[in-house]
Amino acid sequence: MTAPALSTQALIAGYEPDLPIVRGVDLSVAQGELLVLLGPNGAGKSTLVKAIAGVVPVHFGSIMLGERDITRVAAHRKIGEGLAFVPQTENIFATLTIHENLQLAAAVLPKKLRVEKIAALYRRFPDLATKPTRLAGALSGGQRQMLAVARALIVDPSVLILDEPSAGLSPKIVAEVFAMLKEINAGGGTVILVEQNVKAALAIASRAVILVEGKIRHEGEASSLLGDPLIARLYLGTSQPQKAEQP
Amino acid sequence: MNPQFLMDGLIAGAMIGLGAIGVTLTYSILRFANFAHGELLAWGAYLALAVSGALGLFSTTLTRPIGLFSFGWSLPLAAIIAIVLTGLLALAVDGMLFGRLRARGGAVIILVMASFGASLALRSLLEFIFTSKPAYYTKALQIAVQIGGGLRATPDQLLSLGVALAAVIAIHLMMTRTDIGRSMRAVSENSALAGIAGVDVRKVIRVVWFVGAALACIAGIMTGLLVQIRPYLGHDLLLPLFAAAILGGIGSVPGAMIAGLIVGLSEAAAVQLVGAEWRAAVSFVILVAVLLLRPRGLFGRAA
Amino acid sequence: MSLDLIAYAAFFLTMALTYAIMCLGLNVQWGQTGLFNVGIAAFVAIGAYVSALLTTPDAADRVGGFDLPIAVGWIGGALVAGLAAWLVGALTIRLRSDYLAIATFGVAVTVQLCVLNLQPLTGGAFGIGFIPRPFGDLAGDPLAFGLSNLALMTAVVLALYLALQHLAKSPWGRVLRAIREDETAAQALGKRPIRFRLQAFTIGGAIMGLAGAAQGQFIGFIAPDNYLPILTFQVWAMLIVGGSGNNRGAILGAVLVWGLWALSAAAVSAFVLPEQQARAAALQIVMIGVGLCLILLVRPRGILGASNALASLTRKRTPKSKE
Repeated sequence: MTAPALSTQALIAGYEPDLPIVRGVDLSVAQGELLVLLGPNGAGKSTLVKAIAGVVPVHFGSIMLGERDITRVAAHRKIGEGLAFVPQTENIFATLTIHENLQLAAAVLPKKLRVEKIAALYRRFPDLATKPTRLAGALSGGQRQMLAVARALIVDPSVLILDEPSAGLSPKIVAEVFAMLKEINAGGGTVILVEQNVKAALAIASRAVILVEGKIRHEGEASSLLGDPLIARLYLGTSQPQKAEQP
Repeated sequence: MNPQFLMDGLIAGAMIGLGAIGVTLTYSILRFANFAHGELLAWGAYLALAVSGALGLFSTTLTRPIGLFSFGWSLPLAAIIAIVLTGLLALAVDGMLFGRLRARGGAVIILVMASFGASLALRSLLEFIFTSKPAYYTKALQIAVQIGGGLRATPDQLLSLGVALAAVIAIHLMMTRTDIGRSMRAVSENSALAGIAGVDVRKVIRVVWFVGAALACIAGIMTGLLVQIRPYLGHDLLLPLFAAAILGGIGSVPGAMIAGLIVGLSEAAAVQLVGAEWRAAVSFVILVAVLLLRPRGLFGRAA
Repeated sequence: MSLDLIAYAAFFLTMALTYAIMCLGLNVQWGQTGLFNVGIAAFVAIGAYVSALLTTPDAADRVGGFDLPIAVGWIGGALVAGLAAWLVGALTIRLRSDYLAIATFGVAVTVQLCVLNLQPLTGGAFGIGFIPRPFGDLAGDPLAFGLSNLALMTAVVLALYLALQHLAKSPWGRVLRAIREDETAAQALGKRPIRFRLQAFTIGGAIMGLAGAAQGQFIGFIAPDNYLPILTFQVWAMLIVGGSGNNRGAILGAVLVWGLWALSAAAVSAFVLPEQQARAAALQIVMIGVGLCLILLVRPRGILGASNALASLTRKRTPKSKE
């Protein structure tokens, strides 16, 4: 059996040393999985992925990317290791053009590859290619999310992590973004997703992990969770969040 | 009004502009107003003085004036060395002081305060080493030449303008066309995201200090060459530097240069109209006007 | 001999107490509100010049003197300095935190320029002399004069201290603390941080003006050289040594730093060759600068201070996450 694409061992993390938000998480994500992290507000989902990405300090435990320990790898080197992270908000550089956003991300690649990789992304996201000199700040919500994902994909990451990619987007755009993630996953990419939009997320995920108070409370097949009324009531909230808005 | 004030204003403005670029870069990327930046100008000027003096001891041919200029090859050579040394000085101060405070994650104003202390220490150290007596790179006198339009300028002044222009264009190209410039702009907008996108933020910060210090050194040497070298050289320029950086819009390199020229020309005009003793108040008036009317400056992003 | 010594000690302590007043003013601005003022010297100068202008006898070569009582001079100095602080604050407090610092720096430069150049008002580089001193009729007896002035200044500092302590504990002071700890929360409670900050900055500026007035009246002579940026640095050093946020610390820090400063200056003039004295003085200032940085790095709470704004500012992190 091959090593998991990403795993954490007894991970404790948080902004302040005396106030851990993630309290001992053993997470394991297999190659090619699309895992969704669910849980009530304040459960530590976002902090967990930020700790994995190196943005929030890890106090204890370890993070493995494949067979490599990346616990102490600086945030800016993780992308080079093959771990890409798309934050929830402010995930593009608004004052840079679309092209500059991609060039910036491509800078971690060897010089020869950069132009070719950017061209490949433009083919994959034709929307971005229409006007690459536009300031990213002028893009619509869906386009921004697309650019943020494109930025993350430039290195062909072994694991792609997204923190609430549906936040603030209209249902139609959410569907597009999720379709894109599904496609990335179908192409063999390992994807980890933090979501509030439970139904839509479970619909594309292969597996789900439920976090409560900084610990894993439940994990299982996405399809089984979707049908489990108890879990839905306890941890996911019975009603679907209606926070979508037109960008 | 004597049109010659245009020339004076342009030259003063070019020096202010170069210094203001350093202020605006450190401000936009490190996010604090560095009160010690003026000291980098003064240190640059004195380092060049010391190195060029040392070079002059080795060979007197180095001090023989080049062509129409007032200085020999010892000064340009010393300038290059001084630029590197000033850059290293800035990195050392960052390593010992600002970097540690940043790592602690303190409030911005603590950094401002530390820069205030650093400026005091750096300036008085210069006074201790070189005394407050004015110094000069050269004793050679220069005759101003007619350059048309009723304006006169010395070859030194024209060279300084040329160097300032070249430096600004180089920095502008660096910011807009190169990987490091793009990274600098990215860090300036959102350093956390820049890190996630693979930008080595610490390296960017080092580059910013070095570039800012190098420009400060050039501006300091120019001031020393065209006026005189004093420990208070940088301190006296600090308010014009801040005024120019804010007028130009924090983070904008061309903005800082253009605003520097505006400040320089306004000062020169005020000297003509009101009197030289009020020169230093011009920057304050400009500063107040900008803060009142357009706090983000001419080319700044909306906050 | 011993009487001379007592008279000198009284003089020294009175001077130290005038710095203590400046320090208390800065403590309202920085220690309690977190507003960074780099132009202390300007507000002190405004107080000193306004007070001198109001209280000196009519002079032929300049505007005024109005020959008013010393108390009027003190109050006038405080009011005008407070007004200046209000203007600077109103312009910059709503902007980024360091714009206030830059603006106060500009004020310091400009006020220095004004006192130098507005000769008809300020006497230019020579300043204003023959300012009436409190208990001036006792001047023939140095001891009585010194002790009366010391008593007066002690009373002023004590009254100010009690007033500021009271203010800090009042609802106003509590709002200020709340704003400092968590601006957003305070805003949510319907408090307008900008207004409270502006009030604190104005009060601090007025106190600095009072200090300038009191000091000028005590020495009897003022000149632009008394209000160079070094004064700002000294007051900062006093507050930081004493521990910002702490009124007692502010007073103690002022006496301590002024004592060290006076002692080292005396040592310099006694033991250093005259031609090297300027250099020694420069080294003295290097020490202040390095000391300031070291305290920020090593003991952000100040040497004597307990709980204060500086410490909370150096520790504060800005967690952006909602989780």
